[in-house]
Amino acid sequence: MADVNLFLLQLFTGLALGSVYVLLATGLSLIFGMLTVVSFAHGAFFMVGAYIGVYQYGVTGNFWISLVVVPLVVGTVGLLTERFLVRPLYGRGIDYPLLLTFGLSYVLIEIVRIFFGVQGIPISTPEGLRGAVNIGVGHFPLYRLFLIVATAVVVGGLWLFIERTRFGLIIRAGARDPEIVRVLGIDISRVWLLVFGLGTAIAGLSGILAAPIRAVTPEMGIPVLVESFVVTVVGGMGSLAGAVVAGLLVGVVFSLTSLYAPAFAETSIFALMALVLLVRPQGLLGRAGLMG
Amino acid sequence: MEAFRPQVDFIARHRVAAVVVFLSLFPLLVPYQALAVNILIFGLYAMGFNILFGYTGMLSFGHAAFLGTGSYGAGIAIVHLGWPWYVAIATGVAAATAVGMVVGFLAIRARGIYFAMVTLALAQCVYYVFFQAETYTGGENGLRGVEVGVIDLFGWRLDFVDPTVKYYVVLAFVAFALWFVSRVLGSPFGAVIETVRENERRAQACGYDVARTKLVAFVISAALCGLAGTLRALHLSIVPIDSLHYLTSGLVVMMCLLGGMGTFFGPFVGAATLLLIEETFTNLTRHWQLITGVVFMACVLFFPRGIWGSILHWIRREGR
Amino acid sequence: MTPPILAAENLSMAFGRFLALKNVTVSFDRNTLAAIIGPNGAGKSTFFNAISGAFAPSSGRVIYEGRDITGSPQHAFARMGIAKSFQITNVFPQLTTHENVRVACQMRRARFDILTPRESLGDLSDKADRLLGTVGLAGARKRPAADLAHGQQRGLEIALALACDPKLLLLDEPTAGMSPEETVGMMNLIVRLAAERTVILVEHKMKLVMGICQRVIVLHHGELLADGSPEEVRANTEVRRVYLGQNV
Repeated sequence: MADVNLFLLQLFTGLALGSVYVLLATGLSLIFGMLTVVSFAHGAFFMVGAYIGVYQYGVTGNFWISLVVVPLVVGTVGLLTERFLVRPLYGRGIDYPLLLTFGLSYVLIEIVRIFFGVQGIPISTPEGLRGAVNIGVGHFPLYRLFLIVATAVVVGGLWLFIERTRFGLIIRAGARDPEIVRVLGIDISRVWLLVFGLGTAIAGLSGILAAPIRAVTPEMGIPVLVESFVVTVVGGMGSLAGAVVAGLLVGVVFSLTSLYAPAFAETSIFALMALVLLVRPQGLLGRAGLMG
Repeated sequence: MEAFRPQVDFIARHRVAAVVVFLSLFPLLVPYQALAVNILIFGLYAMGFNILFGYTGMLSFGHAAFLGTGSYGAGIAIVHLGWPWYVAIATGVAAATAVGMVVGFLAIRARGIYFAMVTLALAQCVYYVFFQAETYTGGENGLRGVEVGVIDLFGWRLDFVDPTVKYYVVLAFVAFALWFVSRVLGSPFGAVIETVRENERRAQACGYDVARTKLVAFVISAALCGLAGTLRALHLSIVPIDSLHYLTSGLVVMMCLLGGMGTFFGPFVGAATLLLIEETFTNLTRHWQLITGVVFMACVLFFPRGIWGSILHWIRREGR
Repeated sequence: MTPPILAAENLSMAFGRFLALKNVTVSFDRNTLAAIIGPNGAGKSTFFNAISGAFAPSSGRVIYEGRDITGSPQHAFARMGIAKSFQITNVFPQLTTHENVRVACQMRRARFDILTPRESLGDLSDKADRLLGTVGLAGARKRPAADLAHGQQRGLEIALALACDPKLLLLDEPTAGMSPEETVGMMNLIVRLAAERTVILVEHKMKLVMGICQRVIVLHHGELLADGSPEEVRANTEVRRVYLGQNV
């Protein structure tokens, strides 16, 4: 019985970890689905979000404000990035926006080092979210539970936004065929701008949400970028449902191998990715056509 | 420019000799020999990468895996197995080639933009594997003690600790690699990889097996980067775990683009530029990577041909 | 009676729930010029892609010289002697016109040879020049393909297709986007090419093919509507109904 409980607890830990992946991959997929741009700065935006959030939390002592401020600030940085750096590269091949955002991640890491130092900064678990609660199979850290709920709220909100609003309709149409949007007389470049901003805002938000369970350092975005790529490849590029399923799956695989075969914890998610590439190269919920 | 046409053509025909002559004189131009050796090694690394990125049109973000595997392969051969230096180099190259086959086989299943993501992820996996095999690799501290004091060449003893000797020993390997790459690029296969870069569908319709062509290009590229890695291990006497890091993968992308992708000499220009930026600014500020990042972004936005690529473009345009 | 060079047996192709091709059975004789026509959305391109190896059909078989080649990879087609040109021009833009064709000619001789110099295969270069002459591009051999006019690029693509010495040449709307003069030139070229091999072309301009083809196949809504000589097809009442108002 204890073994089962341990398994279930670890499963929940995996879901909490996976929640962060879900958010990251959702942002990546949103941007890719619309602009066919893979943002290599996604991990850096995550890191910037964590820093801004931790700084804000330190100043006001109120964690909740961060959840509003961070997406706004990071989203604005995203808007500026799309408008002035990525936009000139459309039509020059898919590699260029990727290369540019890679260079940008270098710059963002260095800027954070200038302002906050090369060492990481500490963050305590926000007040009111400390401690653990009994979830039936044992005690589970409250903050991790909060992570799962917060992710569900964000993804649910995003889903409603995409399914129920006019702007969401444009996003869905544009992801299928940018021509349709153009024919409807909508300025596609504005849609791209906003979607890029939205995607980066989500990356920033996931940064501050993950901060209390990860070390906040200038380089924290690098493994996160890799992991969110694994999730995207597993789930299928451009698929929001794929991002959710694969994000949770990757989190669970990681946390269960941490429990049963700790030596393989880091490499297990890559094995999962390799398996998906062999069996279903377009990803679990991806469309074959998008790969080209 | 037209007046120099014969000279330009002459150099283009003898590109390997021209580059080797230039690199033989190169140490006179840089402040100290260790930097020159570094530029040579990273130039080789970038040249291996260029086969894939510049000529086959595949952007890999995981080439540190091959540089690092080459380094660790050679390092482990020397430190743990006590093998002679030349066997160690062969071991490192063989290991990098083998890893290249596995990574390549998986990564070519992902097309377009996926390829960059998958290579990045698989390289990170290689990083973790070496990181965890602490007994053999030294884990976080890197593999120490890759000492090669004296190189015995048929009774001719070379002091590998002397930076000048070291430079020319490394150059001998680089010269061989330059010859090999020039041969490959000038071969029928070299023509095929360019068709893959230009238009995969057309290449397929012409009867070329694009997947296999990509894999062969990938493995050749990995082997050359592995050679660069083995030389780096001998040069540094240590294999830092950073060799396998994501930023080392990114560095070679920057060098190749900055120098000029798809040009023969560009990778060396790019390697020299980036390492000289580091060298110059590292004494002024610890945030020299900010300058690297900005220079690279400017290159992507405004000079996608890179330094050497732009020079070549100018020569060709003037010559027309 | 010799067996057909290519036969499509009960070809069907479904995209999701949409049936783009429904049980089409056609066979093509050696050394003939045949055209597949039909209004937009008739399934011409789907049929073309299925017989030229761009994708495998959902069901049915493609038989080439008596062998079942259904689902063979794209690159195998050129090696078997089936060449194709694309509806949207597909060349190697940054390579010179000559190198475009030379590398295509190289396919049967050297695919993975990494150490022989290209120059040692000099006869391939001569062959490339001959093919460029055939399509009227001898004067453009040193220019990058991207610099050619649209009509010239279409010609270059024919030369690329001819490089593998095809017994069967498949052309998807070879005159798309061409001026009337260029169209006439292309049609003359196709007639010349068809003298030595089988040519199947997809075309939506019906008038264009009626004068030159021995065989016309009409597709409509993914189904075979008519199949016969131009005269038979012209007289077919079903075809007249589909091409309503058009001067057949």
